Amino acid sequence: MLEWIARGLSKRRVTTRYPAHTEPGPPGYRGSVSVRDAGGAAPELARVCPTGAISVDGGDIRLDRARCILCGDCVRAAPERFAFSERYETAARSRAGLIAGGTNEDEEAEPARRALGEQVRALKRSIHVRHIDCGSDGAEEWEIQALWNPFYDIQRLGFFLTAAPRHADVLLVTGGVTGPMRAPLERTWDVMPEPKALVAVGTEACSGGLAAAGGLVAGGVDQVLGVDVYVPGSPPAPIAIMHGLLLAVGLLREEPSA
Amino acid sequence: MSVAEEPIGLPDYLPAHLGARREPGPDHEIRLLVAPLAFLRTSRMLRDAGARFVTLLLADTPEPSLMGVFALRGDLVVLRAPIENGSISFGSLGAWWPAARWAERELVERHGARAIGIPPERALTAPDADVLDPRVRGLDVFSLPYGPVRSGIFEAIQFVIETGGEDILRLETRPFFKHRGMEARVVGLRPEQAVHVVERIAGIASVAYACAFSQAVESALGIEVPQRAECWRAMHSELERIASHLDVIAKEAETTALSVGQARFQILKEQTMRLRARITGSRFGRGVVIPGGVRFDGRIETAELLAELDALERDCQRDRRLFLGTASMVDRLFGGGRLERALVEDYSAVGPLARGSGVSTDARHERPYGDYRRLGLRVVTARDGDAMARVNVRFGELTESLRILRQSIDRLATIDGELTVEITGARNGAALGWCEAPQGELVIWVEVRDEVIHRMHVASPSLRNWALFDHAFPKDVLTDFAFIEHSFGLTPAGADR
Repeated sequence: MLEWIARGLSKRRVTTRYPAHTEPGPPGYRGSVSVRDAGGAAPELARVCPTGAISVDGGDIRLDRARCILCGDCVRAAPERFAFSERYETAARSRAGLIAGGTNEDEEAEPARRALGEQVRALKRSIHVRHIDCGSDGAEEWEIQALWNPFYDIQRLGFFLTAAPRHADVLLVTGGVTGPMRAPLERTWDVMPEPKALVAVGTEACSGGLAAAGGLVAGGVDQVLGVDVYVPGSPPAPIAIMHGLLLAVGLLREEPSA
Repeated sequence: MSVAEEPIGLPDYLPAHLGARREPGPDHEIRLLVAPLAFLRTSRMLRDAGARFVTLLLADTPEPSLMGVFALRGDLVVLRAPIENGSISFGSLGAWWPAARWAERELVERHGARAIGIPPERALTAPDADVLDPRVRGLDVFSLPYGPVRSGIFEAIQFVIETGGEDILRLETRPFFKHRGMEARVVGLRPEQAVHVVERIAGIASVAYACAFSQAVESALGIEVPQRAECWRAMHSELERIASHLDVIAKEAETTALSVGQARFQILKEQTMRLRARITGSRFGRGVVIPGGVRFDGRIETAELLAELDALERDCQRDRRLFLGTASMVDRLFGGGRLERALVEDYSAVGPLARGSGVSTDARHERPYGDYRRLGLRVVTARDGDAMARVNVRFGELTESLRILRQSIDRLATIDGELTVEITGARNGAALGWCEAPQGELVIWVEVRDEVIHRMHVASPSLRNWALFDHAFPKDVLTDFAFIEHSFGLTPAGADR
């Protein structure tokens, strides 16, 4: 055992200082897609997206990040209009907040958002998190687990993992909600005490992603329950999920999407 | 007496022996056509010959058929029986071959097939978390449902444990809470679009899925992939294996409350994930492997990559020595979840699980594909069949993966040229593709018609190995559950698809 302790101490500190210091992804990291040029697009451009995340309305491009699986088909088809961004922070408090390009319809949601922030702020620095998988591809679970590894060490921000939904303040949901998981999801949410927040982690949880078209998933957690924070990504990186959690408990201000 | 000039190989004597007609097929695929009534008998003969069950599926090329896939000595035997009058009816394989049970139930429950003599069981593919259905009678025996909502950050699957308080009297594994219909989702997509879906069947094995799928498409359309692409595919696959094995080892340390050990292996795994993000732009290596090759060269300098691998290997060796020298750890894993070799063979298990019970099966070695045809591979096995053996196999494979990576880096310096070939020429075809995922052998059947995917079937290592989990607790108690589950190292997403 002493050897282990010596081994642990012999290594330098690896923990990120996020959110005090921002941390971008490595060069070339596909964190999110941004719209470089939204105007004067041909309607056919929408067809390059396998999940229908891109729509062209009167020549204006709108990109719904809740549907984006970061496959890069649009970036390859129209590099002058779309580009990958290395930024990890992609979470938003509403579906509208995830739409890049066009106009932002997020302003109406502002009072509700502030109320939620106030509500959950009372839990500051002692927030118990519960996770439920409703049909993810398994990668989101790895990235959520990573939050408790020494690199991210989310306990330093006051987030603890709990096994019992009755002790939980925040519910992390992955997957687009398959039939057999619908009732367990509702039951888990019902027994959580108020105040509580629900965070949809991953594109599948935000919109159903690629699985949505198959009809076997509900097409996103918000088809079943109200979602407080959406963290898109396929899968979102640990920092992106951390950003979503901080948004959920009102410790961070949301930045408008580019 | 005349002596045959060449030894008679399996492909030659098998059809005559089985009363089947050989059909042309790609390398390592022995396609046999049998009469519907002979399907059962022929599968039985294959089992007697030592074949491993892979999967059952409904194929539509060249005609609607029931298809059985079996692994026999370095080849896949593909048994095909045409479906007559639209009714799919066959003698149950699961009645005498445990490995076939779940695949057979899927055919029956999902596709309306009729398996004559199928053992009565609860529905597999439409699980209900609330129905416990106890089978063990006795004083103080109760059923304990564990899942689908797990106590931790784990994927959804349910285990119904029947226990008298400590001993596990009976265990029932219930997959399919996460069935998303990913196989049907690719129908009508072009191969390069379909690969986005395939990568998301089992997210933690994205590269393996993309490779097996791409190889199936390439084999179906007769495409030869550039060597440089094959080299990169092998490298991405080995990095995926390293991350996955480190994940299992970290979880084993966690369940035995070895905090520093857990932290150390988590750090090594995270470093591997970050390395993959630097090379491919994705922590899971997504968006690189496509039918026809790979999209781009790794975005890292060779010297830098070698330095990362050296550091990883050095740390791995040190931590492994400490891990295996920690009595509390070893004591826990030793003898836990023991799987006898005969059981593993009955269930045709694959991957580190099978190798831990002395079954030397590895798709990279049995039917070398891509660059593994040129790279040497040492198949790591252990004999004891317990959780310790499975951890030891993974430790051995970490070293082997690092060796393959170095060999690939050397090879990469010697091959120039393209990374992809255009998919032109043939517009139709059907074939199997396979690779060794971190969880075990993955086999994918793909049919291409008019340049789009017409049908796909996935035989995932997770589903095949999970059937064995019910039997993993011969002498173990409830508190052993977590580390035995982790020692399997499977993913429900891959099993449920």
